[in-house]
Amino acid sequence: MKSKILYLALALVAVQTTSCEKEERLNPVPTNSISDLSAFDSQLRIEGQVRAFYATVKNSGMYGGRYQIFNDIRGGDFQNDRTNVVTGFDIWNYTPSNSSANSVQAFWSRAYYAINLVNVFLEGMDAKGTAVVGDAVSKNYQAEGRFVRALCYYGLLQFYARPFYDGNGSKPGVPLRLTSNKGSGNYDLARATVAEIYTQILDDLNFAETNLPLNYSSSTLNTTRAHRNTAIALKTRVYLSMQRYGDAVTEGNKIVTTTAPFRAATGVNHALNPAFGTAFSNYVTNESVFSMPFTANEAPGTQNQLGYYYGASGMNGGNGEYSLLPTGIIANAGWKATDARRTFVVVSAGKSYLNKYPGGAPFADWAPVIRYAEVLLNLAEARVRSTNTVDAQAIALLNAVRQRSDNTTTFAAGDFATPAALADAILIERRIELMGEGFAGSDLTRLGQPLPAKPGVNAVLPSSQQYIWPISSTELLLNKLCVDN
Amino acid sequence: MRKLLVALTAVLLFTGQLLAQKTVTGKVTDEKGDPIPNASVIVKGSNTGTVTKTDGTFSLTVPANAKQLVISSVDMGTEEVSISTQTSVSITLKPADKSLQEVVVVGYGTQKKGDVTGSISSVKGAAVANRPTQSFEQALGGRAAGVQITIPSGVLNAPPVIRIRGTNSISLSSYPLIVIDGIPVITGDQSSTAAAGNVLASINPNDIESIDIAKDAAASAIYGSRAANGVIFVTTKRGKSGKAKVSLDSWVGWSKVQRLPELLDAFQYTDIKNEALVNAGTFNAASNNFALTNGPDGNPINTNWYDYVYRQGFQSAHSLNVSGANDATSYYFSLGYSDQEGIIKRNDFKRITVLSNINHKVNKWFSVGGKLQFSNEKNLAAVSSGSLGDAFSTAGLGRVPLVTAPNISPYNNDGSYNYSGALIGVMNNKQGQVGFNNPVIQLDQNRANSEANHILANGNFQIKPLDWITYRMQYSIDYNWIDNEQYYSPISGEGFPGASATSNLSKLKNTVWTNTIQLDKTFASIHNFSLLGGIEDQRYNNDGYGINRINVNDPAFTNIQGGWATPQVAGTSIGESYLYSQFGRLQYNLGQKYFLSGNLRRDGASQLGSSKKYGTFWGASAGWEITKESFWAGSFMDNVFSNLKLRASYGKVGNIAGLGNFASLSTFGSGLYNGNGTVVFNQAGNSNLTWETSKKLDVGLNFGLLNDRITGELTYYRSDINGLLLYVPAPPSAGLPSSIPTNIGEMYNKGFEFAVNVSAINKKDFTWNSSFNITYNKNAVTALAPGVDNIVSATGGLESPSITVPGQPIGMLFVTRTGGIDAATGRRILINKAGQPIYFQHVVPVGSGGFRFSNPDGTSANAVSSADAVVYRNTNPKFVGGFDNTFRFKNFELNALLTYQLGFYIYYGTRAGLHDQRFWNNETTILDRWQKPGDVTEYPKVVFGDNVSNGSSFPLDINVYKGDFVKLRTVTFGYNLPLNAISKAGIASARVYVAGNNLLMITKYPGPDPEVSSNGNGTTNQGIDRNTVGNQRTITVGINIGF
Repeated sequence: MKSKILYLALALVAVQTTSCEKEERLNPVPTNSISDLSAFDSQLRIEGQVRAFYATVKNSGMYGGRYQIFNDIRGGDFQNDRTNVVTGFDIWNYTPSNSSANSVQAFWSRAYYAINLVNVFLEGMDAKGTAVVGDAVSKNYQAEGRFVRALCYYGLLQFYARPFYDGNGSKPGVPLRLTSNKGSGNYDLARATVAEIYTQILDDLNFAETNLPLNYSSSTLNTTRAHRNTAIALKTRVYLSMQRYGDAVTEGNKIVTTTAPFRAATGVNHALNPAFGTAFSNYVTNESVFSMPFTANEAPGTQNQLGYYYGASGMNGGNGEYSLLPTGIIANAGWKATDARRTFVVVSAGKSYLNKYPGGAPFADWAPVIRYAEVLLNLAEARVRSTNTVDAQAIALLNAVRQRSDNTTTFAAGDFATPAALADAILIERRIELMGEGFAGSDLTRLGQPLPAKPGVNAVLPSSQQYIWPISSTELLLNKLCVDN
Repeated sequence: MRKLLVALTAVLLFTGQLLAQKTVTGKVTDEKGDPIPNASVIVKGSNTGTVTKTDGTFSLTVPANAKQLVISSVDMGTEEVSISTQTSVSITLKPADKSLQEVVVVGYGTQKKGDVTGSISSVKGAAVANRPTQSFEQALGGRAAGVQITIPSGVLNAPPVIRIRGTNSISLSSYPLIVIDGIPVITGDQSSTAAAGNVLASINPNDIESIDIAKDAAASAIYGSRAANGVIFVTTKRGKSGKAKVSLDSWVGWSKVQRLPELLDAFQYTDIKNEALVNAGTFNAASNNFALTNGPDGNPINTNWYDYVYRQGFQSAHSLNVSGANDATSYYFSLGYSDQEGIIKRNDFKRITVLSNINHKVNKWFSVGGKLQFSNEKNLAAVSSGSLGDAFSTAGLGRVPLVTAPNISPYNNDGSYNYSGALIGVMNNKQGQVGFNNPVIQLDQNRANSEANHILANGNFQIKPLDWITYRMQYSIDYNWIDNEQYYSPISGEGFPGASATSNLSKLKNTVWTNTIQLDKTFASIHNFSLLGGIEDQRYNNDGYGINRINVNDPAFTNIQGGWATPQVAGTSIGESYLYSQFGRLQYNLGQKYFLSGNLRRDGASQLGSSKKYGTFWGASAGWEITKESFWAGSFMDNVFSNLKLRASYGKVGNIAGLGNFASLSTFGSGLYNGNGTVVFNQAGNSNLTWETSKKLDVGLNFGLLNDRITGELTYYRSDINGLLLYVPAPPSAGLPSSIPTNIGEMYNKGFEFAVNVSAINKKDFTWNSSFNITYNKNAVTALAPGVDNIVSATGGLESPSITVPGQPIGMLFVTRTGGIDAATGRRILINKAGQPIYFQHVVPVGSGGFRFSNPDGTSANAVSSADAVVYRNTNPKFVGGFDNTFRFKNFELNALLTYQLGFYIYYGTRAGLHDQRFWNNETTILDRWQKPGDVTEYPKVVFGDNVSNGSSFPLDINVYKGDFVKLRTVTFGYNLPLNAISKAGIASARVYVAGNNLLMITKYPGPDPEVSSNGNGTTNQGIDRNTVGNQRTITVGINIGF
C-alpha cells in the first residue's frame, strides 16, 4: 500500500508540474469584452463602434441632458432650488471651479473620450476596417464619426472658450486632438485657438455633409444617427456662433424651403409638426433632427436626466432641481396665455416648472439635440443679421414658429423699428420655443451679452472671468501646455 | 516539529534493540510540586524513552550502561538527571524559555521560535477572542510591533485598515496576504450593498489558536509575488492530547456612539440661517426664510436627529467547542453564534460558524487531516452610512443627522411621515429644501443586506517514506456565496418615486492545490538541515449576476420577486485569475548557534502582461545566537542574558494584490445605443504590466534577560519598493478610456520596531505581565511617472483633499490655505497659489462695487480654488503601538490594552459640512461667527449659500487637525471561580469577566474619532474623515467555562 500511495502522490505532482492547461490559465481571455486586436474584424463590430460614438455623447452628462441643462441654467429663466453643486448649483450661479467634478471636469473628459473614440476609429478604418466594410460604407461611418467629433468640439467651445466674436476666434480654444491615443505617451498639448477649432468643426461637418447618407431606413434611425441634413443643421448653429451669418444663411437654405410651409426638400424631409407638443411625446417625427434616445433599459443615469431636473415631485416625480424664474421668460407679456407652449409650464406647489420632459423615473424622455424649430430660428436670425434689414423671410420663419403654437399672433415688419428689434424678437422666440433644450447660455455668449442677474446672483459681464468656465483642474495638472481661463 | 520528534521517538522505541537492562522509576513535577503528565523521558544519547503518566510518574527500562536521562515537556525546560547511581529519581522542571520553544507558522510549515531568523510577530488567539468585534483583525491593533490596525468606522464588519510596516503600494492594495491554515484566502469587503461585508468575519475569533505575522522578506518570501505587504498566518485550534475538553464562551455587550459634534438646536438654527439670508440680501419674510413649526404638542419642533439614527446596540456571542486527541487522532469541533447590533439603527451582524479540524495518523508513515468550516454571515443595514467610500451620499446616516434642519420633524403633526418628493418636507421653512432624505423613512423601510455563505475547507495527506522525508499534499477550497439584497421604499429619498429593489448573487471561488516535500536531517548531531520544495496552483473565479427593479406596481412589493415595471441587469461580474508557483526553502543551523535560511519562489500570474507572466522572488537570512558562544558562557553577561540573537535578512518580494484580472489587456466593451449593440474602447492595457517589487532589509536583535523574565526585540527595517504600479493618468483631453497601469513609481518605508515583554511580578498569588511595543515608520514616495508629478485622490467622488508627490509620504493632505477672518468685514481670507491673501465674499452686495474675490486693497482678484491648494500635512502615523498590562491577584485578573497612533494629521471634512451656509445644520461653534466689525473669530460672517468659506467647495486648511490618539482599546476585569466551588458541578474552569472597548480616548482631534477612514483601505486617500461614523464604545460581560 505504501508504494501505491507513493506512486499516486508522484503522479499527482507530475500532473501539476506538466499540466498543459497551465499556459492557458495564465493567459485567460475575458468573456465579457472584445480584444483591441479584433475590434475591426467585422461589420458588426465596426458599426458597433459607430453607435458607440452616439452612446458616448449621450451618456454621463453630455448631450443626454447635462449639456442642455448647463446651457439652460446659465441663462436667466431658471431658478436653482437645491443648492447642489452636483446638479449644477455652481453653474447656475456662475461660480464653477476648475475642480467642479460634475460639470467642468466631467464634460471635458467625456467630450475628449468621444473625440478619441472617433480618432481611434478613423485610424482603425484606414488600417483595416475599410477593407472589411467597403469604401462606401466606410465613408458613411467615418462621416458619422466626424459629425460626432464636431459636436463634441462645438460643445467644448461653448463652455471653455471665449466666444468667437471676442478677437475673431483668436482667443484660446481647447486642445485639438485628431490622432488616436491608445497607450502611454506624452500628451502635453497647448490649446488651439477658437478659430482653429471652428475650422476643424467645419471641416468635419463638410466631410459629414458630403459622405453621410441622405437618410436611413427608419424614422428612429433618422433621429438617432446623423444623416446629411443633420450635419447641415448643425452647421447653421456653428456659423451662428461664429457670427458668420451669410454662411449660416447658405447652410440654412439647403434644408429650409424659401416659402412656407418650411421644410427640408431633400434628404430627410424635416418640418415642424402641426402641434408643438408632438416632438416631446413622439420622438421620431421629422421635426426632431437629432435626439439622444432613452429607454427604461438605457436610462440617462442618476442626476443626468432632464425630467429629474426640470420636473417637480408633484409632476413626474422629478427632484425639482430647477423651477422657472417668475421674472424670467415666463413673465414675457408677448407670450400669450393661449400659446400652446404655455401648457408646458406647469405650476406645482406654488412654483412654475417646465414640463417638456414629463416621463417619470427613470426619466427616459429623449433629449433633443437639434430640433427643426431651431434651424428655422437660426436661419431667421442669420438673415436679419447678415442683411441688417427687417428681413421678410426672417419674419416669415419667426411666424412659422410662433403661429404653430399661437395662431392669434402674427409678426409683421411694422412691429420692428430696427433690424435689432427683429433679432431681439427672434431671441425671445428662442427662449420660449427652445427653453430647456440647451440654448440660453450659448445664445448669450455668442452675442456677447451679459449673463443675467438672478436671485442672490449678480450678472456677469462678458469681460469677466466667470463668463466662461475654467479649464478642468485635472487637465491643467497633467497637460503642462494647457493654460487656464 | 515537536510532535514529529515525539512520534519519531515512539516509533524508534519499538524498534530499538534490547540490551542488558535496568529499570528506572521517577516522578516529574513543576516548581509548585504539581505532577507533569506526558513529559518525555529519554536516555541521553539513545532513542530509548517514555512519557510520564498523569500523576507525573514513569518507569523506564534502560540499558545497564545508561548514565543520564533527559526529561522535557511541552512549555517546560529540559533537565538532565544522572542514573548511574540511582534508580529512583525525582525531577522538577522549570518553565521553559517559553518564547524560544514556541512554534511559529512560517508558510508550508512551522519553525521553533528560537530558530527563526526572519521577522515574525506572534499573537495568541486569546488576544482576539471574546471581543465585541466581527473579525479577528479588528482586535489585533497594538498587539504586534510593525502592525498598524485602524478600524475605519463604526459600521459593523468594515474591514480594518491593516498596514504592516507602512503603506506599501499606491494603486494596488496594501493589505497583507492572509493565510488561514495554509490557505491564502479571499479578503476584503465583498458586500455590494451599504452593509459592510468583510470576508474574514467568517472566522470565529474564538477558534483561533495563534496569529503569526511575517514582516520581512525572509519570513514572507515563500509567498513570493504576494508577500510585499506581509503575510498573516492564522492557525485555528487543534485538539490537544488528553480527554475531550469542552469549553463554552459567552458574552453580551452594549455599544454606544461617542463624541458626536454638538449641533444647533431648532431655535439657534432658525436664527443663524435667517441671519445668513439677511447677509446674502435675499431674506424675504414671505417667501425666503427659515421658521419654526409647532409640533403636535403645540411647542416648536426641536429635533435631535442623532436620536433617530443612533442607538445603544445589544451584542452577544457564544462559542462552544469540543477538542481532544489520542495517539492517532486529534479533533476540534466548534459552533459559534454571534448577534451584534451596531450603533447605527438597523446595522446588524449575525454569524453562525461551524468548524471541524481533524487529523488522523493512519500508521507510522501515513497520516491524513482536514478542516471544514462553514459560516453564514448576515450583514444587515437599512441604507448607507456614508462611511464606506460614499462620504457624500445624501442618504448617508453619518451625514443626515448633521445636515438636516433641527426645526423640522420626521413626522407631520398627524403622525404621517414628513416628506416631499425625495426629500424631507420643509414644514414652515420657506425654502426649497432643508434636508436630504428623511432618515426615519430610510430606517423604517429600506434594506441593504448582504448575506455570505462561506466554506473554507482543506484535505491533506502526508507520507513519510523515510523518517526524514515528508511529502504532503493539500487541496483547499475557499468559496464565498454572497447574496446581496437591497430595497428602497418609494417614499424614501433613494427609492423615490418608483421604489427600487435589487438582488444579486456574487460567487467567489478560490481553490489551492499544494504539493510539498520536506527533508529534515541532522548531520554529525549539530548540522541541522531542513529543505522544503513545493508547487502550487491557485485558481480564482468570480461570477455574479442580479437584477434591479424599479417602479413598483404596488408598494406592498418589496423584493425583486414582486410586481414591478422595469427589470434591469444589476451586479453582473465575471473574472478569473491563476497563479502557478514553484518554491523552496533551505534552513540550516549549526548547533542552534548559527542560523541560515533561504526562500525562493517563482510565480506565474495570469493578471500580468503577456510578456511578464513569471517572476522570481527570494529572501535570505542569517542569525547568530550569541549566548551559545563559549566566550559568552560563564561571563557576567551570561547571567543577564538568557538569549541574545542577532539576525539579518534581505530579499525581494512582490505585490499584485488588488490588480484587476485583465488589467494588462486593451479591450473594447459592449453597451447599447437605442437597443443596438455598441463596441467601445473601454480599457487601455499594457502588455509589460508586472508586479511591484519590494526589496526588504531587516536587521534585528532578539533578547531574553534574567531567565527570560524580560524578552524583546529591536528591529531596523527598510523596504524599497520599485515598479510601483501607477494608473498613469493622461490628460483628460487625450481621451483615453482608462489610465494605463504602468510599473513606474518608487517608494520606501523604513523604521524601527521595539517590543518588550516583562514578567514584572511572578508570585503565587500575584502576577504582573507587561508588554509594550512601538513602531516608528517613515514612508516616502521617491518617484512617480515622468510627466506625472502628483496623484490627486478623491474622497466620495466629490472632493480631492489628498495628493501623493515625490519626496513626501504617500497621501498628503492637499488643501488651500487660509488666513483667518478679516475682522473688518467678516470675510474668509484665502491664500492663493502665489501666497497672496484674497478676501472672499459669497454674495457681492448689489451696488457695492465689490468683488467675490478681491485683493486686500479691494480690487478684483482671480478666483481662489482647489487649483491653489498646497501639499500640506502628512497622514501616515509616525508612531504606532500598544501597551498591554495584565495583573492577576489570586483569582482576579485585570487586563488593559492601550493602543496609540502618533504623528499624523487628519482632514476632518465633516467639519466643512458643519459650517456650511446652505440649509445644512451647523455645529454650535458657528455661534461664535463674525457679526460686527472688530469681531475676531474663526468663523466668517454667515452668508446664505456660502460653501467656500467653510471648505465645502474645495478643501481648506482650517479643517486639518492632528490625529494623535491614545485609546484604552480594551480593559477586562475577570474572576476565575475557585476550583473547589465548581469542580462538584463537573466544571474544570470557570471565569467571568466584564470588559470595555474604546472606553477612553486621549486626543485633541475634535471629531468623533481620529481612528477612522472615509476611504477604508485606500492607500493614497487615507486620513480623511468625511461624515464617517465613529467607532463604538462597548461594555461586555462574559463567561468562559471549561468542562
